[in-house]
Amino acid sequence: MVHRLDRRAVLQGIAGTALALPFLEAMGADVPSASPRRFCALYTANGMSLPKPEHGIDEWSWFPRLEKDGQFEFGKSTEPLAPFRDQLSFFGGLQHDNGLKADPHVCSDMWLTGAPLHNPKPGSYNSVSLDQIVAQHTKQYCRQPSLVLSIDAGVGFLSRTGTISYDSQGRPVPAESHPRRVFDRLFRVDQSSQKEQRSQLQSRIKLVDAVVDNANRFQRTLGASDRDKMDQYLTSLNEIESRLIASEKWIDIPIKSQDYASLDLDASPEGEPSEYYRNMFDLIALAFDADITRTVAFMLNREDGMGISDTFPLKLGLTQTHHNLSHAGDKQGQLEFAKYDLFLSQQLAGFFAKLQSLQDPQGSILENTIVLYGSGASTTHWPRNLPTLVVGGGRLGLRHGHYWREEDGKMANLYLSILQTLGIDSSSFADSTGTLATPIFTKA
Amino acid sequence: MPASARTCPLRPIAFFVRATTLLAAMTMAPSLSHGNETLQRVLREHCAGCHNEDVREAGVRLDTIDPAFGDGSLKLWEAIQKQVASKSMPPEEEPPLAEADREAFLKEVASSLHHARTRELEFHGSVRRLTVAQYRNALRELLGIDEDLTKILPPDAVSKDGFTNNAQTLSMSPLLIESYFQIAEQAVDAALVREDSIPSIHNFRMELGQGINREPCPDTLILGANNLLLRSEDFVVTEPELTKPFTFTPFFMQRKFRFIEGYQGNDTVRGWRDFDSIYHAVFACMRGSEGYPKGLAYETVPEGLLLRPAIPSSEIFGESNTYGPHANFKISLRELPDRGQFRIRVRAAKYEDGLLIGPNIVNDTDLGEPDYKLPLQGNDSHVVMIREPGIYRIDTRSNVPDGAKDLRLRLGKRFFSGKAETGPFLAVRLPAGPLEVQAVSTPVDAIERLSWTKIDEGSPLGKEFLAFESRCPEIGVHVGLRRDCGSTMNPVGTPKRVSSTDLQEFVFEDAISNYPSPDVEPNNVNYLAGIREIGIRSEYTDARDMPRLLIERVEFEGPYLEAWPPPSHRRIMDSANDRSQPDAYASDVLLRFAERAYRRPITTEEQAELLEFWRQSLNEVGDLQESIRRGLIFVLTSPQFLFLSEASHTAQAESLTSWELASKLSFFLWNSPPDEELRSLAAQGRLLEDLDSQVDRLIDDPRFERFAETFVSEWLSLDKLQIVETDAKRFPRLTRDVKAALRWEPIRFFEYAIRNNLPLHSIIRSEVLVVNDVVADYYGFGDSVETGFAFVAIPSPDPRLGGLLSRAAVMAGLSDGRESNPVKRGAWFARRMIAKPPEDPPPNVPKLEDLTELSLRERLERHRNVKGCVQCHTGIDPWGLPFEAFDAGGLRKNEPADDATQLPDGTTLANFADFQEHLSTTMMPDVAASLMHHLTAYAIGRSLTYNEAYRLRESLSTIDPSEFKLRDVVHRIVQSDLFLKK
Repeated sequence: MVHRLDRRAVLQGIAGTALALPFLEAMGADVPSASPRRFCALYTANGMSLPKPEHGIDEWSWFPRLEKDGQFEFGKSTEPLAPFRDQLSFFGGLQHDNGLKADPHVCSDMWLTGAPLHNPKPGSYNSVSLDQIVAQHTKQYCRQPSLVLSIDAGVGFLSRTGTISYDSQGRPVPAESHPRRVFDRLFRVDQSSQKEQRSQLQSRIKLVDAVVDNANRFQRTLGASDRDKMDQYLTSLNEIESRLIASEKWIDIPIKSQDYASLDLDASPEGEPSEYYRNMFDLIALAFDADITRTVAFMLNREDGMGISDTFPLKLGLTQTHHNLSHAGDKQGQLEFAKYDLFLSQQLAGFFAKLQSLQDPQGSILENTIVLYGSGASTTHWPRNLPTLVVGGGRLGLRHGHYWREEDGKMANLYLSILQTLGIDSSSFADSTGTLATPIFTKA
Repeated sequence: MPASARTCPLRPIAFFVRATTLLAAMTMAPSLSHGNETLQRVLREHCAGCHNEDVREAGVRLDTIDPAFGDGSLKLWEAIQKQVASKSMPPEEEPPLAEADREAFLKEVASSLHHARTRELEFHGSVRRLTVAQYRNALRELLGIDEDLTKILPPDAVSKDGFTNNAQTLSMSPLLIESYFQIAEQAVDAALVREDSIPSIHNFRMELGQGINREPCPDTLILGANNLLLRSEDFVVTEPELTKPFTFTPFFMQRKFRFIEGYQGNDTVRGWRDFDSIYHAVFACMRGSEGYPKGLAYETVPEGLLLRPAIPSSEIFGESNTYGPHANFKISLRELPDRGQFRIRVRAAKYEDGLLIGPNIVNDTDLGEPDYKLPLQGNDSHVVMIREPGIYRIDTRSNVPDGAKDLRLRLGKRFFSGKAETGPFLAVRLPAGPLEVQAVSTPVDAIERLSWTKIDEGSPLGKEFLAFESRCPEIGVHVGLRRDCGSTMNPVGTPKRVSSTDLQEFVFEDAISNYPSPDVEPNNVNYLAGIREIGIRSEYTDARDMPRLLIERVEFEGPYLEAWPPPSHRRIMDSANDRSQPDAYASDVLLRFAERAYRRPITTEEQAELLEFWRQSLNEVGDLQESIRRGLIFVLTSPQFLFLSEASHTAQAESLTSWELASKLSFFLWNSPPDEELRSLAAQGRLLEDLDSQVDRLIDDPRFERFAETFVSEWLSLDKLQIVETDAKRFPRLTRDVKAALRWEPIRFFEYAIRNNLPLHSIIRSEVLVVNDVVADYYGFGDSVETGFAFVAIPSPDPRLGGLLSRAAVMAGLSDGRESNPVKRGAWFARRMIAKPPEDPPPNVPKLEDLTELSLRERLERHRNVKGCVQCHTGIDPWGLPFEAFDAGGLRKNEPADDATQLPDGTTLANFADFQEHLSTTMMPDVAASLMHHLTAYAIGRSLTYNEAYRLRESLSTIDPSEFKLRDVVHRIVQSDLFLKK
């Protein structure tokens, strides 16, 4: 069928970036292409330690000490991040206005969505999360739309979900928790599923192809009618066809060869916490490096003492579980809680170092990735002044090294700034009123 | 005499021009040729110096204005005409325009404008895709499924007239097409089954009643915060055997579980525990039930569970809180089928209730000596002889001084619980004869005496009781998920009125996929994970006292099937041709389906293409049903289904084909595809001759509600009410549920007005209101209607209230949630009610200085005087000021309102009533033109061109508004060339 081949040839021309990437890589071309823009959200539950002034251990507060003009001094629990001073910024004072109205235990459910969980649209649970918005705009460039990770697999139960990611209809996106399963999903190419995938794609392409033929013929019967909208339909249909063809191509393109030696795929949440986190973070870095996905959400631990991570402080030699530590009001308890913050900072520092060591066509992966780290409560159950750290993205237009505060400022505005910096043309996110008025985001 | 009549006498109106002839006239136009040399010269020499690309005074550019007076330039030409005629332009400081030039210029402009307005209209057919709602309706009707699969589609864009069915704004995108493919697959899979498979059916029954369970579950559990489990003695769950006329497998729920957390509520006690009982699979519980304002929220009695209306929590706390409405009974359960139709049957009755006497009840004073007195002791029961049947007031005497005590009173078989102290407790109807009485108070013996007094039906309390007794609770069923925060409960259909005191069965049915599924992985180790809920409520209208709802039993069945394969499958797959002849069979099945989907006979070319695709699919998959499934998906993603098209071959008007007409008509009046009758008239070519009777049939059909809802909510921008964030402290009664009811008010009114052919001026002023209990209560005359949620026409208790203008939904929507907003209301009025949209703001509008110390009226005045603002605001503010009579909650302001105005033509009006009067007399032609304009744009699915709009207005400027009636308007539009030609 000659006409079909012809049209495909044209389609490849039209499809632009959707096809460009796999084609270039398949040919082994070393043409410098634009570096991918990526997003990574990391959530920690129960907030951070913000010791009471009377205990005299202010230096253990998670928020840095603000000197002046945005200059700050790291606290003891964030000191491991000091080498990245020029590649990170702290944000204070931000909140989800809907968080003030909701049951405080659901703060992780809305951290990345900002949804009115106390008064949702009937029949829905949540609204779309930031990482999934990014996925909608990056999925055509990579193998997997997004990667959703959590300390506990699945989604948990509503109100204490074990995931921070929600799809466009507000349904929780199930998370993976074990390094081996993550690895198998991302890097192992399974022959039989590949075959099935290909046959599904081919059958879908045939259907779209037939609909295109039919639509073209129908178009001609419309005579002199205004046909703008039919043209739009045909263009869109062609776009879908070219995306399907691009997806089919992906199947044949081998995954970038990488060094997996550092991975211990048997690491698990039941084992050593730092080993577990290091492996999960390494997997994220490898997935970014091979451009398998461009958006990741990782829930490091869960609210309200749910799940295995609640016991991590005990494994580290502290005296109480994570949730109980977060409720502590005494000096000893608040100090221990801060020491757990310190532990998490150490894990993050390792992750950032890894991202910095891996190179994109232009710059390091860290420079082309916006990492958002924070919690849905500043300290336990307090939905204001959310602890928030933004790391990386220097090549995307972020000017770092600040501690920026806006009392009762909107998290949703920060999220909108992130979206626009990633080149996503959104005018709003959740209840945003605009981008965040900060010099840190220079492109939004 | 209103101010309008003094200052602006009624324009003379011609009496006999009918809209039909005028609409028809709109398409006939002489073609004139003329020179416009002066015009060009004057523009060049006197205008373009200040109005060009660089200077652009007042945002106007005249160096590039269309000298051929094309459609897009006419508004600007009109403005030029006005400026030059009034000698405002050229301005004083510029070289003057010679009088002769001015005259010649104006003459040429006038003649060109006339020419442009009357030139022959071009017709170019139409191709517009179905709106999301039309697509949803089409899928449902075509496939016979209840699943709403269109939730993933982005909402349609809105045209400048406010409509989503506008051909120009209905765009296509890859995202949309991707969704169409996905939905087509899901829709076909919802309709078809594998005929050789055996369905598995899940059913259970929960019976309710005090002490009816002889083998209650011994475990004590907490189902999360604020969940109150019913006593395990008070309900029984069984999985009764079903009989069906086909083979099926009964599905039995899992009873054995192992959990490590969650079984003590949300706390974090950890440790494996084993459970083995149906009562860990299905629970009866209440939520948000403490603090009910009057009486007990719920109570189990031997016959069942009694429920008071489920008050949305926001009605009590001022803001929606996380625990859902009060008296929120629900069946929590772990398993529901994941696809297909479900049916919930509830056996329920209106309880023969008594009226608890509280501060909201007008009571009789001085009843004199009671008819009976009964001293109480312990919980003993007593027998009292009632000599005369009738309404009795029962008074209590308390021996505890401090405050009211809980009292549960049994009269015969009936139970009444509430707070009692010394004084009147209950009004109740009693039959004659011996009456067994038992009173249990907490603390014991706090109530020491009861007394009975018969009261007169005509007395204040008697009347209250009669009204109470005649009311009927509304039963509603909801399905959702258990969660700690907010509620995912989604109503199953609409509430049903429970009018009998005998138990009756109420059936609620829908597709399970329309309700949220828990999305948790199986064998989750948390006791609370993935719990679903079936809520059964006595729905709340307003604070009026309502007899309680008695629920005896609830039964669930799903997938609900009356036959196998189900009708949705058979309608598509049944054929006279045998399946052993795949070609003949598939061709019959697919072509019949395509004809219904395409809403017309299918061409030979289309037939060949569809069957070719099917044949390829069959070769590929080898399975007949699978290949047909693909053919159906092909049809559902084809433009013939997704678009409404009117093929045009010339620029001249051509008649619609009868099939095109059938679709246009049914999508106009039903927002859905033509039914069997329309299709058969189209097939016989008789639709055009039967047009009037068909229009009437469509209007009288229940599906006409879809027209009313879509048209009215879009025309009046009713979505604004849902969007505006109402200040709950100022307007505590404007809750989400009340807003939802208020939104329906103008829709139901307009539907009523068309069906009853009310005069057009009733959209401005009407003696009829169409309200339900919720709406009437919001306006403050709740006692004038007793129909629950059903809307009913009543004479307006306040003559200023009627019509569409001052509906609370409109007024509250056009506010910022705190203060009324004359600018929003004025712009809305100018656009929607008189179709004179304010001009777009010019570029570089200067920033306003902070004027917060001034009154609103002063601020508007300042604003109007700022250069750059004046042009728009003189066309906005005067229309908005009369609405200052209404607050941001949409109700009349209590304080004397500052609602006087001076209209752009100089008419001064003292208040809103005068404004209404002025609109319904002098300005009726403008209102009529606007309604015709909007209704026509909606009917034909596109905006009117300048030409069409101008002629419509001209044709109506001489019409007698009293001649103009709303059902006739619909007929006239359908009979116009704009509708009938392409």
